[in-house]
Amino acid sequence: MAIQVGIGLSTAKDLIQATKEAVNQASTNIHTDKIDLAVVFSSIEFAHTGVLKTIGSLLGSVPIIGCSSLAIISNQGVFKRGLIIMLLRLSEGVYFNVAYVKEIEKKSATAAGEELGEKLLYGFKDIRRDINVVFSDGLIQDGSGLISGLQERLGASFPLVGASASDNLSFQKTYLYFNQEVLNDAACSMLWGGKLNFGLGTKHGWKPLGKPRYITKSKGNVVDEIDNAPAVKIYEEYFNKDISGLKKDLKRISIFYPIGIYLPGEEEYLIRNILSIEGSGSLIFQGNVPQDSQIRLMIGTKESCLAATQQAVEEVKKGLLGRSLNFVLVFDSASRYMLLGRQAGQELEILKEGLGKDTPIIGIYTYGEQAPLRAISYLGRTYFHNQTITVLGIGG
Amino acid sequence: MLSGEYVIMLGFAGFVALILLTLVLALKMETIRRFQLDVNKLKKSLDEMDEQAKLIVRTDMELNKTQEELDKKISGLYALQRLSRAISTTLEESQVFKRIEAGYLEDIGFEKALAFLWSNQEKRFILHLSIEYLENEITSIESSINTNKDLYLELIKNEKTLSSISVSTTIKAKLNHIFGVTSFVISPILPKEGNKGFLFMGIKSADTLITEGDEELITILANQLGQALENARLFEETWRAQQDLEKKVEERTRELTLALEEVKRISKHKTEFVSSVSHELRTPLTSIKGYASILLTEKLGPLPEEIKQRLSKINHHSDELVQLVNDLLDISRLESGKITMKHELQDLKNIIAEVSDLLSIQLKEKQIELNLDIPANANTVFIDQDQIKRVFINIISNAIKFTPLKGKITVQSHKVDKTVQVDVLDTGCGIPKEAQEAIFEEFYRVDNSINQEVKGTGLGLTLVKHIIEAHEGKIWVKSKLGEGSTFSFTLPSVS
Repeated sequence: MAIQVGIGLSTAKDLIQATKEAVNQASTNIHTDKIDLAVVFSSIEFAHTGVLKTIGSLLGSVPIIGCSSLAIISNQGVFKRGLIIMLLRLSEGVYFNVAYVKEIEKKSATAAGEELGEKLLYGFKDIRRDINVVFSDGLIQDGSGLISGLQERLGASFPLVGASASDNLSFQKTYLYFNQEVLNDAACSMLWGGKLNFGLGTKHGWKPLGKPRYITKSKGNVVDEIDNAPAVKIYEEYFNKDISGLKKDLKRISIFYPIGIYLPGEEEYLIRNILSIEGSGSLIFQGNVPQDSQIRLMIGTKESCLAATQQAVEEVKKGLLGRSLNFVLVFDSASRYMLLGRQAGQELEILKEGLGKDTPIIGIYTYGEQAPLRAISYLGRTYFHNQTITVLGIGG
Repeated sequence: MLSGEYVIMLGFAGFVALILLTLVLALKMETIRRFQLDVNKLKKSLDEMDEQAKLIVRTDMELNKTQEELDKKISGLYALQRLSRAISTTLEESQVFKRIEAGYLEDIGFEKALAFLWSNQEKRFILHLSIEYLENEITSIESSINTNKDLYLELIKNEKTLSSISVSTTIKAKLNHIFGVTSFVISPILPKEGNKGFLFMGIKSADTLITEGDEELITILANQLGQALENARLFEETWRAQQDLEKKVEERTRELTLALEEVKRISKHKTEFVSSVSHELRTPLTSIKGYASILLTEKLGPLPEEIKQRLSKINHHSDELVQLVNDLLDISRLESGKITMKHELQDLKNIIAEVSDLLSIQLKEKQIELNLDIPANANTVFIDQDQIKRVFINIISNAIKFTPLKGKITVQSHKVDKTVQVDVLDTGCGIPKEAQEAIFEEFYRVDNSINQEVKGTGLGLTLVKHIIEAHEGKIWVKSKLGEGSTFSFTLPSVS
């Protein structure tokens, strides 16, 4: 028997009324009273313990996992303000475990990742593990660290996808939902295993531009020098602006013109957005940029962005090898939402057309995505991505 | 020698080798030089490509900015359109501002909003809308606005939109502080009549800057609000006027209904009175007539001529009185609906022929010619034969009465829809215009010489009218003095 899925969505103003509405819809759609897991995504207005408590009171002690987003993606459309709940009833032989970790900044991202990994493995000893999905605070500095910590415990090439929660693009506070708690500076995760099918596609569609350059001095996500000159020089040259001019337009530049790290054998460059520019001319990126990497300035268009969505869908289908698909999780970069603007709905249409109009789809816009570089081969090591759409199709 | 030759030869070979080596080296050098040139060329074209890339990136950035601005404007316009529709679909003043919701605001590109209207009675600005403001913030803003009300009254007077891009930096800083924003647009709300005010829209994040397009958008919205308030006021007025009118109509209808009931009551009373009086009169009249008749037979003894003459008069007048009483009784019965009409299909020609027989003596006396013009399609009527005969007797005998010697009376009929219209034309003296309606009233008699000579009850035409109305018909007269009269009435032709 397949995994049973019921989705409920509400955009009502009143939080409690909206929660009740969404839960009722989802309960009606799932056609069963036995619910194993609730996945909750919402705009920041709904990041409130009252929402989670209401879900708890309506559904009993069902585990809840999710996060905030600048908009929610559903079969019915993309909603800037709203709450979506996906209830799951697992089929026989499919297992999951949920866990969370708090105070990431204090513990260091790597240590937090390791802690999360340990908690996930607990009780998952003799079962085949298939894939791990992690949600993390979108404003933590060291996203790559969290992933390497997790890999330390789950295995370097274990398939791991993740999404960094987002807010209303004010970059002030993002929220994680775990059971009855609303958390910041935290990450929560669900590990899946057993008789599970999944297909995963991660693509961005940004294209390289200009001549290749080399990272001559960097550590972690801080790049000091590119081609033996202060890192910021590359942006100063391309945009003909000084540091203060660049800082003014940083949001736009970071999203539309990130750097791409060349990875031999990979179809696409690994994208890195700039988080900030230091006075020394160093650039701080969202995600690690190893020294000696070959990089290029990247440029994206709406067309290339939508073409990437199509490719991601194809990869999901390839990964499923024709086996059943019960629901789809979409982690779409906030940058893509901004680039696509009013055409954000077109992306959803591509997903629906490619994966089936009636296949339940829920998703969020993220401040960073984590996915293996080669999703199909189990050898693929997960990297921290920017600007991508990650599509995870699951069936059981 | 040999060795000397050998050395020479060797030297020569070395020389040749050296030359060859130099040649090879020169060739290699040439190749390296060419490679170097190629590398330089490649480097140059790569640098050129990079220069092009810079151009592309800069253009792309400009394009993106424009696109964003356009997108913002388009979604702003869409939101404005939706908002306008929402505002214009309400005709209640209190609802106009309630239609502006936070969602619309965001789509237009703003975060906070306030609307105030000036109250002439209270001489202060009153809050009508607030979005994304806390209670205490509103209180302080409201008091600040009313302390500096001149600034806002001036804005209304000048009918001009203010924004953070159009005002001086001092005013901008002041307003930003009052409203707790970084950019704003304030536009007057100007209904033609009623309270005027202003709409405030602001953004609190420093990243977003407003443009002239935003200023235009908010001006349009404020205009729409003014229009909506004006519409609501006009509707309210019209609605009130209509309510008043409806009330008046209702009152008048009630009065009329009461009056009508009173009239009906009186009329019924009259009918009953006439009916009972007539009954009371008939018995003694019968006795009077009976005794007079017996006396006139002289069975009780011979009577002197003078007494006989008086008795004849009593007898004659008694007949007239009986006729009068009978007519009165018939009228009151018809009025009270006590007589039911026995509707049957009848032949008009036959009825008129019978009536003509009855009146043949009078017709002969005055040598009056009675003509009939009854076409076959207007001959069959659905009527109570006895009653309609009375109608014809009354009308034709009236015509005989008022038509001079050798005159002419014509009875004609024609079909009108589902009825047959009968016209009785005479060549008599005619009826004065002012009397034409009154002749159908009880006891009305036209004041003329003939009436003074010929006696009548004054009830004949009243009875006729009642009979025709009991047949759901109408009766009327057309006449000109000296040119004769035409009495017309309608009768049902099919059931």
